[in-house]
This record gives sequence, structure tokens and C-alpha cells, in this order.
Amino acid sequence: MATTRAILVDITKCIGCRSCEQACKQLHGFPMESETKLSPTALTVVEERGDRFVRRMCMHCQDPACASACLVGALKKTAAGPVTYDGAKCIGCRYCLVACPFSVPRYEWTKLVPYVTKCDMCAARQAKDQPPACVEACPVQASIAGNRDDILEEAQRRILNDSKYVKHIYGSEEAGGTSVFFISDVPFEKLGFAAAPKQPMPVLTATALGDGPTVILVGGALLSGLYWITQRRALVALAEAREKSIAASGSTERN
Amino acid sequence: MSTKSLTAIGFPKITLWRTIVALIFAAGLYSMYARFALGFKLATNLTDPQPWGLWVGLGTLCGVGLSAGGFAIAAAVYLLGLERYRPILRTSVLISFLGYCTVCVGMLYELGIPWRIWHPIVMWNRHSVLFEVSWCVMLYTTVLALEFSPSLVEKLPFVRVRELYLRWHHSILIALVLAGTLLSSMHQSFLGGLYLITKGRLDPLWYTPYLTTMFYLSAIPAGLAVTIMAIYLCVRSLNARVDMNILSDVSRVIAPLLAIYGVFRAVDLINRDALSYLWMWREATLLFWLEIALLVVIPLVLLNLKKVRENPMYLYWTCAIIVMGFMTNRLNVSITALQASSAAYYVPKWTEFAASLATITAAAVAFRYAVIYLDILPKNPPRERWMIPSAPAQA
Repeated sequence: MATTRAILVDITKCIGCRSCEQACKQLHGFPMESETKLSPTALTVVEERGDRFVRRMCMHCQDPACASACLVGALKKTAAGPVTYDGAKCIGCRYCLVACPFSVPRYEWTKLVPYVTKCDMCAARQAKDQPPACVEACPVQASIAGNRDDILEEAQRRILNDSKYVKHIYGSEEAGGTSVFFISDVPFEKLGFAAAPKQPMPVLTATALGDGPTVILVGGALLSGLYWITQRRALVALAEAREKSIAASGSTERN
Repeated sequence: MSTKSLTAIGFPKITLWRTIVALIFAAGLYSMYARFALGFKLATNLTDPQPWGLWVGLGTLCGVGLSAGGFAIAAAVYLLGLERYRPILRTSVLISFLGYCTVCVGMLYELGIPWRIWHPIVMWNRHSVLFEVSWCVMLYTTVLALEFSPSLVEKLPFVRVRELYLRWHHSILIALVLAGTLLSSMHQSFLGGLYLITKGRLDPLWYTPYLTTMFYLSAIPAGLAVTIMAIYLCVRSLNARVDMNILSDVSRVIAPLLAIYGVFRAVDLINRDALSYLWMWREATLLFWLEIALLVVIPLVLLNLKKVRENPMYLYWTCAIIVMGFMTNRLNVSITALQASSAAYYVPKWTEFAASLATITAAAVAFRYAVIYLDILPKNPPRERWMIPSAPAQA
């Protein structure tokens, strides 16, 4: 599959019917009661912010912080777009929860064998060329799905052609770009969107990690050098002491 | 049955310290039950906005940091040839080894699926700071176990085994110390590197691209402070014989290290234009000043006084202040400085405290018996009170 999938959420169109929530819960077999916050049984929720409805879900970053953070590689950015989670690898360290700039992953705190939960953009459905369940369920096309390039183009077209839109596509720059985009007529910070850094998050740790080999090489050489000097000094001191004792035993008057 | 007859058949006498330790272990046992039989929800106050709490902040960050004395003293003695620190070498290695053991045990509490703790050995992600940390901790714990092992092996009754092992150990010792120094340096700094990914969420007083350097620079003086404290306690209550001038020498190293750390923090704040945060009236700023006072200012003032440097008890309390400052720093980075952005207000549940305290206490008890039964520190000839079985226990 050469193309990367993406979702566009048009906040001006959302009527708050929560069909997306319901479709998601149905697909995953979760209890159908609506929840106000993302949870292990609510991978997407519609939050009310003033008179707007804001859908929350995993942003499926192009270069995800969670995937770089996960020490066993349970979280992966797939070529098709979704960021997927392999529970069989997870050890439950929860560094992904710490790392996510959008605070999306949830943890099953109540379970004895807890896993991380988050939206996977219906990776299995998408592989069968079906749209994500939430998008399919939306009665007013507030959420649409498609190729990332086409979706971005459509978002661009909408905010350029209509003056009511804020001139920013949320997700185009955030965390170095995502695969879920939002457009809105109310400033994003007023809708509770995180002011995520503009660079890909893994860059932040990559520099530190890149120092590792240098530390080993330079530090190793330095410490070996110091050890050599220490050894050398001990040898010289020993030889000197020996010479002195020979000289002392040879002729006491010369000392 | 009266206490007296119990003592006669060897029942340990009930003392204040033993009672405290027993209570801590009892609370620790319940916490263990709560964590593994009831789950996170009932054992901790962790939530999605606060996924890492006391067990990471205290157990891992402080545990690893305060165990930095071992590699510093080992490097000083073996690589730099500073032989005057040799008498305290075994103690500092033992402290580090036990410290890392508590970190590994703490990991079992901390991980959601602890029986998969081995996964990082076979499942690699070279882009993860935590992956590097986990490997360094695994390797360095092994190095520490090997560095410590002669203290145990030399007590074996089999002469041949003993000699073979000790000869082999001698031949790899320098390599071990070198590897240990590099591994420690790497993961002490990488523990700070874990928080590099929290850009925009960690408070500006702490978030810096040089978090790695900050963690490394603060770990060494704090680790040395723990070593001083432990040796002072051994001398005071375990009849150990140590030339107190060595402790004074160590404190002379701690002071410049703390000063360098303080200068780094200051320069970094100036560079990042974060000075304005220093004078804001808010909880994070107060905690920042508490941390700087305990970790840098007060110790530097105290260590500058000859009277403090040369009095073991004053030195002990100065080191205690450094350790408290260090813990404040690590808890600030891992908990308090993240709370404003996550809108979480996290206070650890009592079971979290009890689990951590019980693990640390277990290490302290292990340390005590190691010092008593192994040749960790030279000891004075037993005083008379040690001969009486009903003598008060020295904790």
C-alpha cells in the first residue's frame, strides 16, 4: 500500500450526535454508555466545549512520541497510517502515557493484567479498504477519511474558501505532523487542544541517544588512558623505591 | 510464655528499631498484596494524567541516583589510583549493589505486567531512552554483583574454588570497573533523558535539553553523600573502624561537584531565558527554591566550614540535607513539575509509600548484616556489650 490514510474532523460540521463514539464502542464490544473522557472503553469521545463539539482520539502522528518511547516496540507507526499497539509485547511501563504530547493513551488501571488502550484508526478495517468505523458512522460527514495528501488538500481548500475557519489545520504541524486533522471556526486553544511542539517528538530524545556511542568511545578512551597513567606511575614509583633501597644497601654514606 | 524464656531459645529481643522495621515490613507486605492481588487502582493513586508516580520518582530515579557512589569510588580507586579511598570501596560498592537491587524489585511493582520484565532483552527499540536505561541497569547490576562477589566468595569454606574465583575476578576487575563507570554515566544521564520527550509539559524551571547532564552532575555528589552517611552509621553503631579523614576527603570532593552543578543550573536558566519563572509566586517555584536550597546552597555553605568537614556527625547531617535536596529534585522532575500541565493532582497512596519504604528498609537490613558478617569494613575488636545476647540491637 503506497498511500497513507488520514482522518479530517471538521468541528463546524459536528452536531454532537455521538454516532462515532457508539460505532467505536460497538466495534470493540465495549459497554455502550457514553463517556465524557477518553478511557479504556472509549477510544474516541465527543467533548462539549462551549457550543462546539470536539472529537478526541489518537492523532496518529507521522513520527509518534509513543512509538519512539516504547522500549519493546509495542507501538508502531504503520506504513498505512495508523499507529498500532501490540499488547503481546507490552510490559506495562507506561512511558507512552508520559511521552504522548496529546495525552491520548489510556491504561487499564483496574485490571490485574493491564494493557494500554488507544484508537488504532481501525487498522484492520482499513487494510480491507473499509473506512474507520467512526467515520463511516458520521451522519453529517464531520469526519472524513482518505489518503493523507487528499485529506490535507481538502482541509486546505475548506479553510481557504470559507472565511469563518481559523487559518490553521490542527495536526499539520503539531508534533511534526499527524494523520488526524482538525479544522475549526473557534481558535483551537479555546477548544482544549494541546499546544504540542512543532517538531517530531522523537527528535527531542534522538540527540541524547546519539551521544551514547560518543560517550562510550571518548569516555572509554579517557578512562583507559587514566588507568594507564595510574599504572605507569605505580610502576615508576616501585622502580624508584627499588633503586633507592639498592643504593641505600650499597653505600649508606652516599645518602 | 514470658519474653525472658523466649530470649533463652533465641527469639530476637524486641527493641524499638526492630519494632519499627517489623511494622514497615508488615505495611510492605500488605502493599505487595494490594499491588499484585488487587491491582494499581487499589494500590496506587496513579491515573492517566499521572502515569508515573512515587515508584518511578523515588524508587527508580532516586534509587539509581543515590547508588552512584559505587561507580565514583571504584573509578577513583582503580582508574585514578586514589588509594586513600580504598578503605571505603567495598562499602560504596555494596550500597550501590543493594541500591540497584531495590530498583529492580521496585520495577516489579512499577511494571503493569512484571513477568514480562525480560522483554527488553529480546524486543529492541533503539529509539527509546527507556530501552537504553533498561539495558544499562541490567548490565550495571550484573557488574555490581560481580564487583561485590569477592566479599561473599572469600567466605566459602572451599579453598580451591575460592582461589580460582578470586584469581579470575582479579583478572577481569579493571574491565569491570571501566564498564561499570561507562554504564553508570550513561544511564544516570539517560534517566534525565527520559523527560526530554515532555517538552512543553515539564515546567520551564526543569525542562532543558541538558536534562541528561543535570541528572549526571547531581547523581555523583548525592551518591557520595549516601556513602558518607552509611559509613558514619557503621562506625557509630556497627563498631566499624574507619579513618574519619577519608569522609572529610570525600566531602571535599562533594563541594566542588555541587558547585559545578549549581553553576550549570544557573547558566542553563539564563540561556533559556527562564529567569522570570524564578520569581513567580507559585508552587513549582517554591519547590524549585527548596530543591536548590537543600541540594546546592545549604550544603555548600556548610561544607565550607572546617568545623563541619571535620566533624563526622555534622558531615552526616550535611549529607542528609544533600540527599533530601536530591530527592526533591528527582520528585520535582518526575511528579510536581508535570502537574500544572497535566492538571492532575497526585498524592501517593499510603501503600505506595509503604512499598517503597519496605524495599529500602530491606536493603538497609541487608546492608547491616553484610557489614556484620562479611569483611566490608574493618572492625574494632568486639566491645563487651556485643558479647551479651540480650544487648540492645543496634540498627
